[in-house]
Amino acid sequence: MKKGCGRIFCRLLFFAAVLFLLFSHANAAPEEDYSFDLKAFESKPFEFGGYAEIKWEHMDLNKEGAFYTLNFNDDPRSTLDRFTGTLQLGGRYKKGIWAFNGLLNAAGRHDNNGWSDSVDIFEANLSLKPTPFAIIDLGKKTFKWGKGYAWNPVGFIDRPKDPNDPEEAMEGYIVTGLDLIKSFNGSLQTVALTTVVLPVWEGVNEDFGEKDHVNFAGKLYMLYRDTDIDLVVFTGNSRSTRFGADFSTNLTTNFEIHGEFAYITDYQQNYLSEIRASTPRKGSIKKYLAGLRYLTENDITTIIELYHNGAGFSESELANFYQLVDDADTNLQNTGSDTLFHTAESISDMGYAAPQLGRNYLYLKINQKDPFDILYFTPGLIAILNLDDQSFSITPEILYTGFTNWELRMRMTFLNGGNHTEFAEKQNENKLECRIRYHF
Amino acid sequence: MIQRIISSIPRKLFLNIFVYGILILFLAGPSAALDGNEILLQVDRNLQPESYEMYRKLINIEPDGSKKEYVLYTVKKGQDKMVALFLSPASEKGRATLRLGDNMWLYIPNVGKPLRITSLQSVVGGVFNNSDILRLDYSAEYNTAILEETAEAYVLDCKAKTSSVAYDRLKMNVDKKTMTPVTIECHAASGMLIKTLYYKEIKEFSDGLSRPSVLETDSPLYKGYKSVMIYAKINKKEFADEVFTLNYLPRVDELR
Repeated sequence: MKKGCGRIFCRLLFFAAVLFLLFSHANAAPEEDYSFDLKAFESKPFEFGGYAEIKWEHMDLNKEGAFYTLNFNDDPRSTLDRFTGTLQLGGRYKKGIWAFNGLLNAAGRHDNNGWSDSVDIFEANLSLKPTPFAIIDLGKKTFKWGKGYAWNPVGFIDRPKDPNDPEEAMEGYIVTGLDLIKSFNGSLQTVALTTVVLPVWEGVNEDFGEKDHVNFAGKLYMLYRDTDIDLVVFTGNSRSTRFGADFSTNLTTNFEIHGEFAYITDYQQNYLSEIRASTPRKGSIKKYLAGLRYLTENDITTIIELYHNGAGFSESELANFYQLVDDADTNLQNTGSDTLFHTAESISDMGYAAPQLGRNYLYLKINQKDPFDILYFTPGLIAILNLDDQSFSITPEILYTGFTNWELRMRMTFLNGGNHTEFAEKQNENKLECRIRYHF
Repeated sequence: MIQRIISSIPRKLFLNIFVYGILILFLAGPSAALDGNEILLQVDRNLQPESYEMYRKLINIEPDGSKKEYVLYTVKKGQDKMVALFLSPASEKGRATLRLGDNMWLYIPNVGKPLRITSLQSVVGGVFNNSDILRLDYSAEYNTAILEETAEAYVLDCKAKTSSVAYDRLKMNVDKKTMTPVTIECHAASGMLIKTLYYKEIKEFSDGLSRPSVLETDSPLYKGYKSVMIYAKINKKEFADEVFTLNYLPRVDELR
């Protein structure tokens, strides 16, 4: 534990005290007779809901880290506080076989560097369901393919998710989709084919890949002998052709295993070569993941995933980049020349600043529901380990959902590793996060 | 005296009384002739049709009386297909659970894809676990023998057909008059009592269904806690098999 830890401990204590007071208050509710007014729950043509959230993050900055050097060169500081307010609104209008679904996310952030905000339409699509066997979607939609919890190598038409918060909503792409579903009696219980047409034009899905192409993605799902199986394909000129498969099954009632495999052809990437220049390379790569979920008798859930990212940088490639930033900083301090510094910045932007940019990872999540007879209280821990350079992040958290529609979460992330390793070169040394979310 | 009365009855009439008496015992008194599995089948049909839609409220009650409530819309088809959609509270709205035999999945709108869950977990916390919320017919999961019979009730010993069933053994008290359960003790394979279910307040539902409208449960594993299910509407209804698939989970609300 380094500087700032005493202050963080005081804040943790304060937040815990607030939670305790709220717990005590919750216990005051009186018992009532059972009643159930069904009219309040009748189906309506238009329904909406969502959440409002406030989040405070306190970060002790990692002054030895490459990304601190790149991001705070003009404004050196030891801590960063950020307040974020988020509003997520979802709505649906249905009439006969038609339904319109929308999801909007708006966020405003204020930190020591100033104010920023964003408004994103995550989903806005028209769904047509002429029969239970066929569903047509038109508009912006999120798919989230794959069985992995933290990573999804076969999520060919999904944005990458945050392994620290994999259950958050994500922005979709504008598509035309068709679902065909058929159930059977026997070992093969279900077959479902999902086909997606994803165009990339001026102003349409521009961040997906190369413009002026129409792409196709397909997923064939089967429930065969109590095992979920997906076969996935993507082809089109916006990204290279790729194939994938995944599965998930329960070995026992409390033990689930899953896996994903993706083969990506002609994958193009720029990397930092030995001569400190951005160098292109192209070739077929593999990504795969193996995972399990285990539940003990006392309600402890453990998720473990091993992930190989063939599109990631090797340990030495990452170390080369961190050394470049060190040298650029030294050069700037000693000579005032920022040429090498700008080179490091541009190399950072071409992929070295992405989260989990290495080759091999271990993900671990453990949480326990209702320990010590406290209902709706879930303490847990998330750890992400870069298996190549042995650096890691570890995040203990507590979650309380005992007040109807309220969710209180507090977590603390520590990052550590040796010199020139992934997590030791991040911008933060640690991060405290307190989040209150209200669902409506 | 009895011998004198019998001898005074004509022989043909006596034979007729004897034969019809035996027939009446077999046909008019079905409860006496039922075995455990047949009783359990009757219990299932008296609790709900094989395929139906249903609205229920689930209440978790803490030792000090504080509560948390959930409202679920449920559809079931045949022996082993079931979906439950959360309508309330807002924090859970849109979540849907699917059960196909021993397989269970949870769909969370934000997560956007169904995750496999297990029968012993609880998506709502409290004493009810997933197998209680997505309960199939008892007769689909248990082989049954009559342990005891009184004038008012049967006591059934139900043994799980496979190891994937949430409770290895049930001790079920069945009211003879309504042929519905009154109490069910749920035991683990070790014999440990996991929870007790109490069926209460018989109410008339549609299609002539008359069954308990309240199900309470407590557990020695959650001392002082109680969970309650209140049934508001049970309608016989048929659905396509394709409704009970992962692809359909985001659209279950459109069935209402």
